Amino acid sequence: MRHLKKDIIPPLQESRWSHIWAGFLGDKLATLSLAILVFYCLVAIFAPLLAPYNINSPNFMDLTNAEIAPSWISGDERFLLGTDDQGRDMLSVVLYGTRLSLTIGICAVLIQITLGICIGLISGYLGGRIDNFLMRCADIQLSFSTMMVAIVFLAVFQALFGMDMYQQLAMIMLILVIGLAEWPLFARTIRASVLAEKQKEYVDAARIMGISPKRIMFKHILPNTLTPVLVIFTVQISNAIVAEAALSFLGLGMPASDPSLGALISVGFNYMFSGSWWICIIPSLTLIILILVMNMLGDWLRDHLNPKTYRD
Amino acid sequence: MFVFLLRRLAQAFFVMIVISIISFAIQNKLGDPVQQRVSMTVSPIERAQLRQQLGLNDSFLVQYWRFAKKAVHGDLGTSYYYKAPVLDVIFKKLPATMELAFCAIIIVIFIATPCGILAAIKPRNIVSKIVVAFSTMGLSIPIFIIAIFLVYIFSVKLHIAPSFGRGETTNVLGIWDSGLFTKDGLRHLMLPSITLAFALMPIFVRLIRAEMIEVLQSDYIRFAWSKGLSSRRIYFIHALKNTMLPVITVGGIQAGTLIAYTILTETIFQWPGMGFLFMDAVSRVDTPLISAYLIVVGGIFVTTNTVVDLIYGLVNPTVKLANHGL
Amino acid sequence: MFTNAQTFIKTYNRTKNIRAFLLLIITLFTCQTASAITMRMALDADPVSLDPHEQLSVGTLQFSHMVFDPLVRWKQDGQIEPRLATHWKSINPTTTRFYLRKNVRFHTGNPFTAKDVVYTIQRLKRSTDFRAMFDTIASVDIIDKYTIDVHSSSTNPLLLNIMTYVFPMDKVFYQGRDDIIKFGKTFASQHASGTGPFIVKERELGVRVVFVRNKDYWDTKSKGNVDKIILTPIKADSTRLAALLSGDVDFISPVSPIDIARTENVKGIQVIALPTASILLLHMNEKRRKEFRDVRVRKAINLAINQSLIVKKILKGYAVPAGQLSAAKFLGHVDSIKPEYNLPEALRLMKEAGYEKGFRVSMMAPNNRYMQDGKVAQAIAAMLNRIHITVDLKTLPKAQYFQQFDERSADIMMLGWQSDTEDSNNLFEFIIACPDAKSGLGAYNASEYCAPSINKDIALANQEMNPEKRAKIMQKVEMKIYKDSAVVPLYWQDDIWAAKDNVHIKSIVNDQNYPYFGDLVVDEK
Repeated sequence: MRHLKKDIIPPLQESRWSHIWAGFLGDKLATLSLAILVFYCLVAIFAPLLAPYNINSPNFMDLTNAEIAPSWISGDERFLLGTDDQGRDMLSVVLYGTRLSLTIGICAVLIQITLGICIGLISGYLGGRIDNFLMRCADIQLSFSTMMVAIVFLAVFQALFGMDMYQQLAMIMLILVIGLAEWPLFARTIRASVLAEKQKEYVDAARIMGISPKRIMFKHILPNTLTPVLVIFTVQISNAIVAEAALSFLGLGMPASDPSLGALISVGFNYMFSGSWWICIIPSLTLIILILVMNMLGDWLRDHLNPKTYRD
Repeated sequence: MFVFLLRRLAQAFFVMIVISIISFAIQNKLGDPVQQRVSMTVSPIERAQLRQQLGLNDSFLVQYWRFAKKAVHGDLGTSYYYKAPVLDVIFKKLPATMELAFCAIIIVIFIATPCGILAAIKPRNIVSKIVVAFSTMGLSIPIFIIAIFLVYIFSVKLHIAPSFGRGETTNVLGIWDSGLFTKDGLRHLMLPSITLAFALMPIFVRLIRAEMIEVLQSDYIRFAWSKGLSSRRIYFIHALKNTMLPVITVGGIQAGTLIAYTILTETIFQWPGMGFLFMDAVSRVDTPLISAYLIVVGGIFVTTNTVVDLIYGLVNPTVKLANHGL
Repeated sequence: MFTNAQTFIKTYNRTKNIRAFLLLIITLFTCQTASAITMRMALDADPVSLDPHEQLSVGTLQFSHMVFDPLVRWKQDGQIEPRLATHWKSINPTTTRFYLRKNVRFHTGNPFTAKDVVYTIQRLKRSTDFRAMFDTIASVDIIDKYTIDVHSSSTNPLLLNIMTYVFPMDKVFYQGRDDIIKFGKTFASQHASGTGPFIVKERELGVRVVFVRNKDYWDTKSKGNVDKIILTPIKADSTRLAALLSGDVDFISPVSPIDIARTENVKGIQVIALPTASILLLHMNEKRRKEFRDVRVRKAINLAINQSLIVKKILKGYAVPAGQLSAAKFLGHVDSIKPEYNLPEALRLMKEAGYEKGFRVSMMAPNNRYMQDGKVAQAIAAMLNRIHITVDLKTLPKAQYFQQFDERSADIMMLGWQSDTEDSNNLFEFIIACPDAKSGLGAYNASEYCAPSINKDIALANQEMNPEKRAKIMQKVEMKIYKDSAVVPLYWQDDIWAAKDNVHIKSIVNDQNYPYFGDLVVDEK
């Protein structure tokens, strides 16, 4: 619920997309952001190939190499960005951490979208009591902020089933919690679009032709609601990643043996006063840049896909 | 209006029931309080006795019913750690959290409102560009990173502000321990409230900016322009009034975010408030306290949301309340 | 005349006012200098209860040493010094006579006598936590107002060690309302009257405890000059350190080893680390894993773990690598056993045992109980990986960990133990002895390793009065553990304190981590 969405947006034509794309290329900041984001994604996908060390190898964690400063300070060529407290190569760890953070973020948002689309379509198309009930649920869900729900839920889960179970399921839990907590955002947007679309003649026509409601919803209405979804999508991923980082900081995120960026920062946090600053600063910067880029893209998309601003 | 009110209250009631059920479930199942209470050298037999004493061997329903009966009378149990009724414990910590949140909100209002308005009315101004850039950056930097830098610079290096705790407090009206009236208390408030404000600021700057832009494009503002009203009058009377409405609503919903961030801030600064209490209770497996916290916080949520909705309904009666999304 | 008189009265009044004012200033000033010495300290936790018998924990004992006084206490050199007991002598093998200090008063003003000591020992025998230790004391007789006889159920070489846990409580004050309930709201958990150097003045659980000096403290020879102590619990290591560095507190403990090097460089801050006898070790569960029943595998694990490297890199040297359970100052310590690290030999042993390809085990460790425990566990998992043992490691907060420990829910578990009696036998009884629910022996033996000969030796050592013979028996046990590679001893961790330079903590700290704050000297600035 960090960003307000603009509700009703009419379908965009092909020409408009190309228009937007041209505008996008004209905006240097936006292009740069996209380039960095693409870079991050590539790095995440190819982390196993890019990382100088195999993090699964038994020799990866070697305590004898603990806390070596980045190579430009220590002169140790083996570790470009230095090593952490366990002697792991920071570069490799950060690469894998980025991969993990992005995976959690994207999966969580995919859950949000799936739920949001289904509920939004049903609610908008069927209307009446079901709509009322679903939207009431959405209200309630929204009134509890994601962070709040996530902290409480994960803390309780952890205590309920023990840390033991928690660490095995940490990733799935994080995805589920962040995913389930924010579906209303998508659901509402979709519902609003559906309500707008439903008034249009082609839907009436389709209905008269005897096409099943399911088909109308998914084949005809859905494609026209994707623009706002795209906007929320970007911003939600960055929100999910930030949420994951904050949860890790509270000790409710990924375990130290399988760290995401957030978990890396929270471990490095202890080293802030000790002089080994790189253990904290490097993953922090990685995270901050990633989020910044996604937020800027999200902002750009919102500003430019929003029909009101678009027309002006 | 009356139907709306009733419906809202019914919804609030329903939510509270759900929360309380979750709380019961937690209290029944969470962790093992016996483990907390005995030392390394206590035999399993004595542990079993203690378990019996605490009523931990009864069935879920029996324990649930026992809890429900007491809850109605305002008795949510006794904290294992504090040895006092949980509600007393929580309400004792309430002032600390409230003051922290209050100060943060004040900071946010006084900085976010002008920034948001400026960014909306003069989008090409260099200051508003900076504001927008900062709000994006603010969203991107996790607050625990901000907090550690504040501590490092202001406490460790400059010795201006203390890094933990609440400092000296004075008792106001016999019920409220306030840190707002002593110099020491205010110094202690500095870093935590700034951190918390940092977390909320970008959200509100963006919100105010977005709403303001939208309002400025509406027909009646255009009409006001064409009528030749002064720009100050248009911006600060007509536009701002309509901007603040959704801001209040969303602000109400942000109560949840606020509580989540107080947990983070209080944990970092050892602020003796409810959030710190909660995380502490979780680590101590102090189940009555955890479940009571949920109920109290749930109550605060539901109340704020309901009140905000009602205000929204009162201020703007044209909104079709029942069908409105919010 | 009239006017004169008026002026006179006026001037008189004025001078009186000025005088009164001066007096006020002087008294204010003297008051301030008199109560100037306040020490603010931050520990990782505050005392859970004011009842010294509710919990056997470092926190309780730290508190007891502030508000109560023990009969006898440990000195820094490991000797026992008299406190409320001035001297003592053995009457017969099972009876010791203690002579008590005279003219000592409790905080309430009640005089301290033999009755209070008897009352306290009887209460200790009721306490779930302390009972095990005091079971060896059969009865206590009052000889006269300041003399008692303590009868043990059998010969007891550790009687004096146990007496360090007797903090006499004010019988008149507590009697009739002296329930001991764990985490219960009892009278004793909220009120305290001891003979100690400090009185609890104010207490907000989890936030702050304020102690003020006991003006009538009997130990007038003590140089301690602290008038007020404000204790604040700060859980996070970095926050606690930041509080010291920013000048918000004067004394902190513990200090995370990773921060020490930098803290030492800060002007005006001193760091003191003392090696202790608390051992960290790993249990390999032989009931859960057949692989661990093979002594070669256990040996290989012992050889694959490089204790010295862990100490050097993770604990930054603030621990002593261990090859056995008994620290050097304990009778059971065997000088010839050193921590061993030999990877090729470990691999060879694994191969010999038929596990060349290795196997997979589960391991659990706490992550907020011992110094850097989570990180140590992670490093150990990586080391075992080298001999192809894949470790599924879980680290848990202490509240959950010890529950799992009791259920023995992982193949390898980490445990730390500080001997209650400053003696090897306490370690053996709890960590190594064959588990027996009835007697409580082996209650913390998560390896399920069982050697009947060790149980016999433990019983022998418990009654042997000759120190040399005792040492031999316990060293035999230690050798047996070593030969069988029954557990993996890791290291004895240091206790670490840091304080501003004007707080002279060096002379009051000890390796049991109960600083004697009553004797603390703080220079005025």
